[in-house]
Amino acid sequence: MRYRALSDVRVVDLTHFVAGPYATKLLADMGADVVKVEPVWGEGGRKIGPHRASVEERGGLFAFLNLNKRGVTLNLKHRRGRELLAGLLDGADLLIENFAPGTLAALGLAPHELIAKFPRLSIVSISNFGQDGVERDGRLNDLVLFARGGWTFPVGEPNREPLTPPGSLAQYVAALYGAIAAMQALAARDLGLGHGQHIDVSILEATVATMIYETVTFQYSGILRNRAGKRFAVGPFLIATLKCKDGYAGLHCVTDKQFEGLCDLMGRRELASDSRFNSALNRMLNNDALLEIVEAFFIGRERKWLYREGQRRAIPLVPIPSVAEVLEWEQTRARNYFETIDDPVLGKIRAPGTPLRLTSHRGEASRPAPQLGEHNREIFGGQLRLSDSEIEALKRAGTI
Amino acid sequence: MSTIFEGKIRVLDISMGWAGPLVGQMFAEMGAEVIKVEDTRHFDWWRGSLSMAPPEMQPIERAAVFNTANRGKRGVTLDLASARGIEILKKLIEVSDILIENFSPGVMERLGLAYEAVGAINPRLIMISMPSFGSDGPECNARGYGNTVEAMAGVTGLTGYHDGDGQRYTLSNALGDPVGGLHGVFALMVALRERERTGRGQLIELAQVESLIPFVGEAILDFQFNGKVPASRGNRHREHAPHGIYRCAGENNWIALVCEFDANWRGLASALGLERIADDPRFASAPARKANEDALDAELSRAIALLSADECLARLRDAGVLAAPVNSAPAVMADEQIQSREYFVAIDRAVVGTHLYPGAVARMPDTPLRADESAPLLGEHNRQVFAELLNMSDEEIAELERLGVIGTRPRLGEG
Repeated sequence: MRYRALSDVRVVDLTHFVAGPYATKLLADMGADVVKVEPVWGEGGRKIGPHRASVEERGGLFAFLNLNKRGVTLNLKHRRGRELLAGLLDGADLLIENFAPGTLAALGLAPHELIAKFPRLSIVSISNFGQDGVERDGRLNDLVLFARGGWTFPVGEPNREPLTPPGSLAQYVAALYGAIAAMQALAARDLGLGHGQHIDVSILEATVATMIYETVTFQYSGILRNRAGKRFAVGPFLIATLKCKDGYAGLHCVTDKQFEGLCDLMGRRELASDSRFNSALNRMLNNDALLEIVEAFFIGRERKWLYREGQRRAIPLVPIPSVAEVLEWEQTRARNYFETIDDPVLGKIRAPGTPLRLTSHRGEASRPAPQLGEHNREIFGGQLRLSDSEIEALKRAGTI
Repeated sequence: MSTIFEGKIRVLDISMGWAGPLVGQMFAEMGAEVIKVEDTRHFDWWRGSLSMAPPEMQPIERAAVFNTANRGKRGVTLDLASARGIEILKKLIEVSDILIENFSPGVMERLGLAYEAVGAINPRLIMISMPSFGSDGPECNARGYGNTVEAMAGVTGLTGYHDGDGQRYTLSNALGDPVGGLHGVFALMVALRERERTGRGQLIELAQVESLIPFVGEAILDFQFNGKVPASRGNRHREHAPHGIYRCAGENNWIALVCEFDANWRGLASALGLERIADDPRFASAPARKANEDALDAELSRAIALLSADECLARLRDAGVLAAPVNSAPAVMADEQIQSREYFVAIDRAVVGTHLYPGAVARMPDTPLRADESAPLLGEHNRQVFAELLNMSDEEIAELERLGVIGTRPRLGEG
C-alpha cells in the first residue's frame, strides 16, 4: 500500500540488503520519491532468498523490501557515475546509505562535503557499529548481532545453548531508527534549525536499545535473567509458550485479574486464594509449581479453545500460528492487510502491507520493486535531461 | 544547540506499557513537551504491582522498565472515570499537538474521546491509536501484549532449536512492543510534516501486530514460493556451516561463531587447535560442512569448551573468523564499542537513584536527541502542568486533590 503523505520528499537510496532497504521502504510507502541507486551488477540483496524455483536473479525479500521505489544503476567508481549521483542529489532531501563507514568518503563523496554542496540534503548512515568507535569497521551477521546485542543470552533451555532469534529482526529495528532519523532531519531543517545534517545510526546500538528488560532491570534488581525454557522469565507473572493438544499457545498472565481469569479458565478458582499464588510476589516464589499446573491443563486443550475461552476472560492468551496461518488469519484477511503484488519476475506474491494507516489519504496499490536499471532512461533522460545517445554511451562505458 | 521540537510540540501520552510510552519518550528525546497522564486507580500497569513491596517502599516507583520508557515526560494524574477528569483531559487536548493512546478498541469511545470528539475540540490534533490487533476486524477485541503480538505476527512460530521437540520460544524483549512504538514515532513524524502543509491533524491507526509481520516477510514469502512452513533452524544457517553457539570454559559462557567462506575454514580450524580436521574431506567445502554439520559441531564444541571466551574470541579474530560473545546484560553494557561511543547515559531518578539507561540511537549533530531526563513520579507535575497550561489556581488544584480527581498516591489494588 502506498500513501501520498510524503510525495514532496525526494530520497536518493544507496542502501543494500535489509536494514537500509526497509528504512527507505517506510519512506516510499508514505509516498516519498525514492530512487534506488545500485551498482551495475545489482545490489547484494537482489539474490538473497527466498527463491521461487528456477528464479535465481531475484529473491522474494528484495521484491518485498523495494516496493514503491524506482531503480537506476550507477558505477560510482566512474567519475561520470559520481557526477550523475550529484545530479540526483541536487534538490534531494535525503541520502540514505548503509555502506561500511568511510566508503562514501573513499569514493570522493564525503558526507560533510555533500552537505556543504547541497545544503537542503541530510544524510542518514546506517552501519554495523556506527561511524566511529574502536570497532567501527567490524563485521556482523544476524547470529552474531543478536548474540552481541543481548537478545540471545536469555532465550532457550537452561541446560542447553542459548537460542538465537530467527531471521533479521534486529536489522529491521535499526531500519526503523533510520527512517525516524530521516524524518527528524527533515523536521529540523523545515523548522529552520539549520541545514541538512549527517545522522549516524548504529545497528548494534539499535539492537541494544530494545533490551531494557536486561540492561536497566539488571541494574535495579541485581538479578541476571537466565534462560527459563518455555517461560519468558521467572518473575511475578507467568509468560510462557505452552504445548497444547494441537500445537503451542502463548500465555501472558501478569495482573491479579489475569491470574483470577486463568484460575477460572482451568476450573480451579481456589488457586487464586491459594497461599502459594495469592499475590504477584508469591507467584514468583512458586513459579515452577504454577507452571506445572498450567502446563498440565494446556496439554489437554486445543489452541482455538484456549484462545476463545482465555480471551473471553480477558487473558492475553493466543494460539501460536505458523507464518502460513498468519497469512490466512481472518483478522489480517478482514483488514486487507496483505497486498497482492504482481511482480514482473516472481509473479503474484502476497506481501505484508504497510502498518501505518493514515486517515488523511486513501492508500493506493504498491508499485513492484524495480528491475535492475529499470528507470535509467526515465530518470537520467527525464530528471537529468541526458539525451538518448548520452545514455547509450554511458551504458557502453559500464557507468549505468 | 537546540532540540528539534523544544517549545514547539506538546504531546499528551495516555498510553501504558511499552509501545505507546516509547512513542512519547522518543518525542521527549526530540525536545517535545510530553505529558504523561495516569489515573491513580489505573496507573500505568508497567509500574508493576503494589503488592511487591510495602507502601513506604513506593513499589510502583521502582519499575526499571517504566522508568526507562517514560523518561523526559511530565507526569500528571486524572481520574478518567469522572466527568471532571475527562473535562480536564479535553482541556489538555485542546492545547496539544499529539495524543497517544493504546487502550483496547472501544475504550476511547466509551470515555468520549473518539477521534471525532477530540478532533472537533482541536482540528490540528494528531491522534495515534495503537491497538494490538487493529481497531476493527473479527479479532480486534483480543487482548495482546508484546509477547502475544509477537506470537500472532508469526515470530514465535519460527523460534525453536534445529533439533528440538517442536517447543517454541518467546523472544527476550517482547519485540512487539518496541516495534509498534517505533512505527508509531515514524507515523507521527509523517503526520506532523503533513500538518505543516494542510493545517489539519488526523487519526492514525497502527495495529501493533501489523507492524511486526513485515519483519518475517522473508518466511512468509518462503512459504508462498515453496509451499511449506520453514523449519526451525535454531542457531544454524540455511546454507553454510559452522553457524552456531558454543559453550566456553567457565559458567554460562558462550560464543556465536560463523564461517561463511571456505577461505576462513583452515584458519578457524587451526585457531581452535583442530589442524587435524582442517583437511578432512567432510569439512573441506561449505556444502560438505553443511552436510556433516552434526559431526562438525561436535568437533568445534569439544575444542571451544577448553578455552575461555576471551581467549577463543581473540584467536578467532586473529584468524578473521566472524564471532562474538553471547552477551548477558552486564556484558552488553561493558561491550567495548558500546562504551567507546558512550551509548548508555546516567540518570538520577527519585526513589531509585542513579542508573545507566540506553541513549538515543540516532546521532544527530545539529539537533541532538536527549535521553538523559528522568521519568516522573505518579502525579509529580500535577501542580506545574495544571497551573501552567490550564491556569488553575492553587485552590482549584487543592479541590481536585480533595475530590480525588488528581493525586500522587496510588489507590486500590493495581493498575
